[in-house]
Amino acid sequence: MVEAPDVYIVPNFISEGYFTAKVIPRELELTGPITIKNQQTLKYCDPVGNDPRMTDLLLHRAAEVVGDAPPHDTSLVIVAHGTGLNENSAVAAKRQVEAIRDRGIYPEVVAAFMEEPPEISEWANLTTQTYVVVVPFFISDGLHSYQDIPVLLGIQSGNSAPASQQDVFRHNPYELRNRKLYYAGAIGTDPMMADIILDTVDRFDQQHD
Amino acid sequence: MIEQLLQECLRSGPINLGELVVREVEPGRFLIRHWKDDESQQKLVVETNAIAVLEIVRYDEQGNYRALKGAPNLRTGWELRLKSVPEVRQAIDYFYPGAFSTWLAFNRGEITPVDLRQTLTRQTGMYRVTQRLTGFQAEDLAGRFCQSRSCCLRTILWTIDGKAPEKYLPRSKFDPQADQLEEQRGELSKDGGAGTPPYRVPFLCVEACNLFVAEARKIVKVHSK
Repeated sequence: MVEAPDVYIVPNFISEGYFTAKVIPRELELTGPITIKNQQTLKYCDPVGNDPRMTDLLLHRAAEVVGDAPPHDTSLVIVAHGTGLNENSAVAAKRQVEAIRDRGIYPEVVAAFMEEPPEISEWANLTTQTYVVVVPFFISDGLHSYQDIPVLLGIQSGNSAPASQQDVFRHNPYELRNRKLYYAGAIGTDPMMADIILDTVDRFDQQHD
Repeated sequence: MIEQLLQECLRSGPINLGELVVREVEPGRFLIRHWKDDESQQKLVVETNAIAVLEIVRYDEQGNYRALKGAPNLRTGWELRLKSVPEVRQAIDYFYPGAFSTWLAFNRGEITPVDLRQTLTRQTGMYRVTQRLTGFQAEDLAGRFCQSRSCCLRTILWTIDGKAPEKYLPRSKFDPQADQLEEQRGELSKDGGAGTPPYRVPFLCVEACNLFVAEARKIVKVHSK
């Protein structure tokens, strides 16, 4: 399918983890960052989620959804997948939490996960502010962001209609557990992702020349 | 190379791949339609950019997400007008990812179908259990999950334990020259659909897909309870 002599493989993944470390190399038969096969050089880049601009994207999404809520009364929850299969999966989200905390915009910034603690369903215990903004650290809007996470947050019941038939993002804020909860779309749908993919390729060349 | 071959194919007449009919109407003007729309007089929505395909392929007529792009449920009612072979190639790849290139590789003798055992043996994580799928279960699953009428239009080249899974599938399912839409076409031609058939590009399956593996997992899970 790809005939060029040099092939860059950019995982459109939000973090390093089980898929980037194990499944992709296995399925593409990669032997390391550079694999030479059938006269082609395959260059395996970092996942796009490692790009430094991810922090800006998360903050941008949060600001977009929260509207007039005062930032100094707002907790920001970065929700990510997390998995028991690879300890690196949650690391990227935790790194983002640190970076956002350092900017001092929100008094409280925490991470919560689908498949490892602290869990998303605990959001009310993990936060203390009146306003709570939840931003999914995900590449695309799909089953997790449309359905699974809303159920875990309690803004939707478990047996709701499939993703294409509803819009969970239009009903903000949700009044829940004495808080005002704002739920944002996945950050990977931002148009800036195209630039981030190209920059990921550039970074690969800088690191491997 | 891929584009060169595509150009040569289209120069000699319309081609059919899966549910698509692709033709060069005049030099540098290309048309892609659903085969059911190809001879109908219905008004079609005209698209002029290959990227529009991503929306066409996303949902079926009933609004369900099309997880399997090889399924015979591509919606009708659109027409794609393109101006270059690279755009046509891009569009075909959006409809049927990798299908045209796979055919090219097949022609060059560079295709090595992967036996189902090999596919299942290399699974890890939650799919590791699929290694326990029995030969009988695998045949049964292929018969239900890969059949051309309502599930997938690809021609199966892979094997189960070295043999084609032909217990519940017709011989034509393994023949790259066969028309996987034959049954559906037969029904339509009763209403008058006819004409010179376009050149049929084999639509090949060289390895059981992820959806097959996911189904295999469900079967093993149910039987282990």
